[in-house]
Amino acid sequence: MGSKLSYANFSVLLIACAYLAYQFLQDNFSFIYVFENSSNLLPVFYKFSAFWSAHEGSFLLMILFLSGSLAVNNLLFWEEKWIPISNATIAFILFFYLLFQIFTSNPFLTFDILPKNGTDLNPLLQDPLLAIHPPVLFAGYVFYAVTFSLVIAGLFRGFDKELFKNLKLWAGISWFTLTLAILLGSIWAYYELGWGGYWFWDPVENIVLLPWLAGTAFTHSLIYSRNKILLSWMVFLGISTFLLSILGSFIVRSGILNSVHSFASDPSRGIFLLSLFALFAFASLGLFFSKSVLLKSNWPELISKQYLLVLNNIVLVVILLIVFLGTLYPIVTEVFYNQKLSIGPDYFSSLITPLVFVLIALFLAEQFLGYLKSNQRNTLIISIIIASVFLFLFISELNPVTLGLIFVALALIILLLRALVEFFSTKDIKVMHKILGHFSVVLLTFSVLLNHEFSETIDVKLKPGDEIEFSGATLKLESINVEGQANFDSVVASFSVLESNLKKTLVSEKRVYKIGGVITAETGISSSLIKDYHVVLGDRYQDGSWSIRYSINYGIMMIWISSILLLFAMLYGTIRRHGY
Amino acid sequence: MKNLRNIFKIIIIFILPICAESLYENLDSEELKRLNYLSDNIRCPKCSYGNISSSNAPISKDLKEEIAQLINDGYSDDEIFNLMEERYGEYVILKTDIDDNKTLFLVPLMVLIISILLVTTYTIKKTK
Amino acid sequence: MATRIFLVLIMAILVLMIATFSLSLVEKEEIALIENQEGKSLNIVDDLYDIEGNQIPLESLLEGKVLLNVWASWCITCLVEHPFLKSITQSKDVKLIGINYKDQSFNAEKYLLENGDPYIFSIYDLSGEFSLKLGVTGAPETFLLIDGVIVSHRIGEVNMEIWNEKFAQYF
Repeated sequence: MGSKLSYANFSVLLIACAYLAYQFLQDNFSFIYVFENSSNLLPVFYKFSAFWSAHEGSFLLMILFLSGSLAVNNLLFWEEKWIPISNATIAFILFFYLLFQIFTSNPFLTFDILPKNGTDLNPLLQDPLLAIHPPVLFAGYVFYAVTFSLVIAGLFRGFDKELFKNLKLWAGISWFTLTLAILLGSIWAYYELGWGGYWFWDPVENIVLLPWLAGTAFTHSLIYSRNKILLSWMVFLGISTFLLSILGSFIVRSGILNSVHSFASDPSRGIFLLSLFALFAFASLGLFFSKSVLLKSNWPELISKQYLLVLNNIVLVVILLIVFLGTLYPIVTEVFYNQKLSIGPDYFSSLITPLVFVLIALFLAEQFLGYLKSNQRNTLIISIIIASVFLFLFISELNPVTLGLIFVALALIILLLRALVEFFSTKDIKVMHKILGHFSVVLLTFSVLLNHEFSETIDVKLKPGDEIEFSGATLKLESINVEGQANFDSVVASFSVLESNLKKTLVSEKRVYKIGGVITAETGISSSLIKDYHVVLGDRYQDGSWSIRYSINYGIMMIWISSILLLFAMLYGTIRRHGY
Repeated sequence: MKNLRNIFKIIIIFILPICAESLYENLDSEELKRLNYLSDNIRCPKCSYGNISSSNAPISKDLKEEIAQLINDGYSDDEIFNLMEERYGEYVILKTDIDDNKTLFLVPLMVLIISILLVTTYTIKKTK
Repeated sequence: MATRIFLVLIMAILVLMIATFSLSLVEKEEIALIENQEGKSLNIVDDLYDIEGNQIPLESLLEGKVLLNVWASWCITCLVEHPFLKSITQSKDVKLIGINYKDQSFNAEKYLLENGDPYIFSIYDLSGEFSLKLGVTGAPETFLLIDGVIVSHRIGEVNMEIWNEKFAQYF
């Protein structure tokens, strides 16, 4: 019965969504939501993606996803003894989400008259990556609601082997999806101007990072909690991940923090969502409180894999705390001191970077735990070597970033060597996904540091035909043209970069949108493995020259590649046990 | 048709706001580094996101040029931050001062140290 | 037991957090992100010229009540508030001076010719430097100066509602 109802719920919601999508494709501007977010000049793809471009539609999409995962869960795991509790939990969430949708954010409201045209989709959102980023993000959030429901089910029915298997599956899928969403957003931010590069520690970015960090700690804690080690900690992380994703929705949708992402703010929505957050938080934590005695937890031994995992979890949670404090602190000062302030990238990177090194060191230690434990002499030799290497590096007066680069590069080499030795001696690599995943995190750290340390930017003034030499490469402004598109006109500047006889072309644009007259800039990027050339067309001077921002960014491609490797590792690690 | 296109070309180019000053020619490489550092840590006052070095808003360009001028006139980094804070408010300063916001730095540090100590001592006790 | 103590601690933090959020939602009394320039005095370093290139006597800005309005021909919101500016100069005794912000002089002249000219004169600020020092972040913005001191500053469009809220009390 329960499973049939979940299918019915999903079908009904799917019909509602299809109906709204149909109005978008038909340019039916009598729907207020369509009128506000679309126009008849828009390409068909964006008419469709406009569905989730604002608060009402995106929330509806999130509900559809939640209902979809409920249906999938019932389809696959109908026989399991935990399914009734899991269903009840998701239904509880769905019920309140739907109440919120109907009473504060109805996307089906209509005008009495039929306007001729809509007010257009925000030009910022007219971009293929940003069109698919939100659905992936919502899917990630929603999947964590499913892991949450499984954790709650475990509180009632006990954590057995079957439940763990499914928990791992859902946790892996959620982790993968959320990581993918962050990567997509990050790539978009890199090529879109005004977003401070691939990561700027802006509130909206941080808000997504919170559940991701909790989810990362959660996935790691799942490894040992099967043996009932720190089981209640795992439960706490499972609950927190879900609560942090709701907190994210609340902050973005209530407009409590100022950001481009914030939807048009409406106090009633904020209050509703905050009440929902409070309800879910106190219900789940209260339940945990009352059931916590039933959870039998074991405690790990000193210098064991489990002990290192506990340390890993502590560091991850401290990183989470830093992001949390830095993001919400401005709200506190605003409420209590009437003072607006910004916590910039500086704060986050200076505090988090050392902790990332600690995480890498922990993983390295875990790799060589056997040697550390086997006898005392080995431990002594290894620690003396490590200590002397560090001492040498510190004495040599390198700047901290270079020091970090050397450390991370060493870690990379060690991991790679270890994997190769294992492969050639046993013709196989045990727990491939783990080695690959951690290798890509180290590579990612290395690329980020590389980017931070070596990238250069210069502002120049060029006329068509002018050249400038900077950092060993010659940039030439080839031509400036004007082109018209269906919904915007644009000034198109073509550049070429010449470095050691290799010529690359770059195109940067400045667009003027026909509805609303918004001006946006499109950057020109030419990538290679090591470095990117990046140009932005600026303003025109009276003498016919243009201001141009020209940057050489190192390691960007490596950041993307390592993130994609990480995604592969996550996916493989999730599905390998399930034989798909 | 071609004429029409030319007129259209001119109109589009002239719709965009224009600027009339040259780009910081007087700065040496050390001063350019300072300029980049400062403009990385000052928020674009007009935008809801991003610093002035990554934003294309006219005001960001102007501020960057003004900062270049101030560097040229011998102002220190702190003096420039103060000037910007006085004009636009604390919100535009992205650099977080440790002395003014001690909790922000101390709380994570304390949590880290205390939790590692607690866990480790507990583990040692359990093992014995 | 340890779990329970920890949970109580977490719930206490949650209560504080939710209380802060609700205060922030209830009080949502728009605190402007960017400080406005009220209370600061006008500090003119360079010579100023109008759109035709005539030098502007500084007394005209520093004496009495002066309404300064930042505008440009490329600015769409300026066009929206233009009729209101015209009506206010007709109905009240307002000394309205424009700042033509980052504009071509012939575009600016064309704009005034087409839409009417409510300004006594407009300061021609091609580089935007004068406006920048004044604290302007874009167009349109409106300042009310009394004897060279900024008493009211509006970032964005001025309409009847904003006028009543921010400027009417001085006229």
